[in-house]
Amino acid sequence: MNAAAWLISLPLASSPLIYLVGRLPLESRRAARWQIAWALSLAVLAGMWAVFAAAARDLAALPAAPAAVPALTVEVGALSLRINGLSLFTAALVLGISTLTVIFSGVGVLGKGGAEKYFAMILATSGAMIGMACAADLFNLWLWFEAMMIASLMLVAFAYDRPAALDAAIKYLVQNVVGSLLALMGIALVLGSAGSLRLDAVLDEAASPALLAAGALFILGFGVKCALVPLHTWLPDVYTHAPIGTAALFSGAITVSGLIAMLRALAPLGGAAEVWGSLLLGFGGLNIVAGNLLALRQKELRRLLAYSSISHIGFMLLALGVALYSHETAAAQAGLFHLINHSVMKALAFLTIGGGLYSLGMDADRPMPFRHLRGLGRSSPLAALALTLAILSLAGLPPLAGFISKWQVFEAGMASGSQAAGALTLFAALNTLLSLAYYLPVVMLLFADAPADRIAMRRPLPRLMQIPLLLLLALILLFGILPDLARLLTDPASTALLGGFGGMDTLTNLNLNGGSLWQIFY
Amino acid sequence: MIIDMYAAGIAAVFGLLGIGLYGLMTLRNLIKVILSLQIIGKAAVLAVVVAGSISGEIAVAQSMAASVIVADTLVAVIGLALAVQMQRCHGSLDLRTLSMKFHTPPEAENGG
Repeated sequence: MNAAAWLISLPLASSPLIYLVGRLPLESRRAARWQIAWALSLAVLAGMWAVFAAAARDLAALPAAPAAVPALTVEVGALSLRINGLSLFTAALVLGISTLTVIFSGVGVLGKGGAEKYFAMILATSGAMIGMACAADLFNLWLWFEAMMIASLMLVAFAYDRPAALDAAIKYLVQNVVGSLLALMGIALVLGSAGSLRLDAVLDEAASPALLAAGALFILGFGVKCALVPLHTWLPDVYTHAPIGTAALFSGAITVSGLIAMLRALAPLGGAAEVWGSLLLGFGGLNIVAGNLLALRQKELRRLLAYSSISHIGFMLLALGVALYSHETAAAQAGLFHLINHSVMKALAFLTIGGGLYSLGMDADRPMPFRHLRGLGRSSPLAALALTLAILSLAGLPPLAGFISKWQVFEAGMASGSQAAGALTLFAALNTLLSLAYYLPVVMLLFADAPADRIAMRRPLPRLMQIPLLLLLALILLFGILPDLARLLTDPASTALLGGFGGMDTLTNLNLNGGSLWQIFY
Repeated sequence: MIIDMYAAGIAAVFGLLGIGLYGLMTLRNLIKVILSLQIIGKAAVLAVVVAGSISGEIAVAQSMAASVIVADTLVAVIGLALAVQMQRCHGSLDLRTLSMKFHTPPEAENGG
């Protein structure tokens, strides 16, 4: 058994343990029971980071094979896993977001008891997401996906005594279960017409009607999770009414893991990659415009960020659609880079909202109406700075991370050679301007005046909350100034992603400039 | 004769899927919604079994079907747990009224 298998088994095995430790009648004067569970989950996450580093080293040490995606193979009984660049990319994303979320939750932002369940479920969700990215066949992919859905549902339904949270959980449950069952029917179609579910082999007759229908079912089914536009209605409710850490985890990892699952499931149907590419392009345009228009009307920050997530997923779809359409690794790299940046920015924004509500002395799991933002710049400068930079980066202003990845996405779209993709890219660029119309008022409010007595009432942010905010802030600046750092993750991931669609030797790699700011302006 | 069996299986998949989707669109009681989800789940299990027998991979299909049934049951359990909670804190299982209650403007929540 390869050490990399611990990346999945460690969180899944420790999740019930953490729950039990949190429930044990261990009374200590120095730490509450949930704090022991918290420390234990941090230890597990640290262990996962160590395993991650070992797996990354093993993968880099593999001898290069020109026609195949490099992958570590793990066989545990009947279960087989393949760890490639895309798996490591997903693992890094999931581990990063969940570690920061767990650290943040250490001050007890959860309004009521039961924090041990929360930490246990965060670990279970992370393990299932990493498993999803490592699965070696379609059905295992689906099982991990379903496990992730069930575990994350518990996170959404955490505040189950509030009707709004219940409503969000029920919407999430119903829509995502229908989605995953549709994807399962797609898998049945693949099994029936090809007899093989392997993810690492491209099927010959990918343009047969049954397999085309299967691909459409994958896009629909996994598209519910990654909020393709007509299927997005669960997302704003979940982002608004789930606990704040859950919202950060969702926006940072869970939603986009639906996108990764979709792309992985489409890989065996790689013979029709152009069809899937054009479909993703179409959904990308729809997501960008619908997300922006819906965000314009919002009066509540978490809901606004949810709609902006929908439009950012559109940008990722745009780049990944171009990548599938023209077999272009630079476009996939741009899409995955935007995916990382979006996760960092959204996690920062949501965690800062949690911090802001905490400093106002409010329940951090509730919505954040705009009027509470007034004067945040005076009372808690770090939170205001973090929120400002997160929002400006989401809007795509230089020199922040969101600018550079959007630039790469646009460049990839323009370089694709297809007129439709070019027009769509132009449209997306114009939409970026539209998005300023809802981002900027939020920033103005942060620095607006507020009654002095309300400012004086506010609590400072505890150290444990500041650590994740500062780390994420540093990442936004770092990726903005030195975007090539992200290539350590995105280059192997984009090769693994597109190589899965077949024709490893025909991959082209445009050298997008956009490497850094000064290159663009030269 | 064997072709007819496949055709019947496929027709049953579409029938169950249709019933389930129709139920999801028309019913507003949470328990009935969960029932509709279960019907769609059964359609998916049947699709897997039919697909396995068409392609001759019946052993694979059977193990898949068993796993899907487990996953499906978990979903039903959680859905019903949510139904219990909804009855407790909302007093009804009607999803329309839950959404209505939740249509209070966001300013009303987190007041202060």
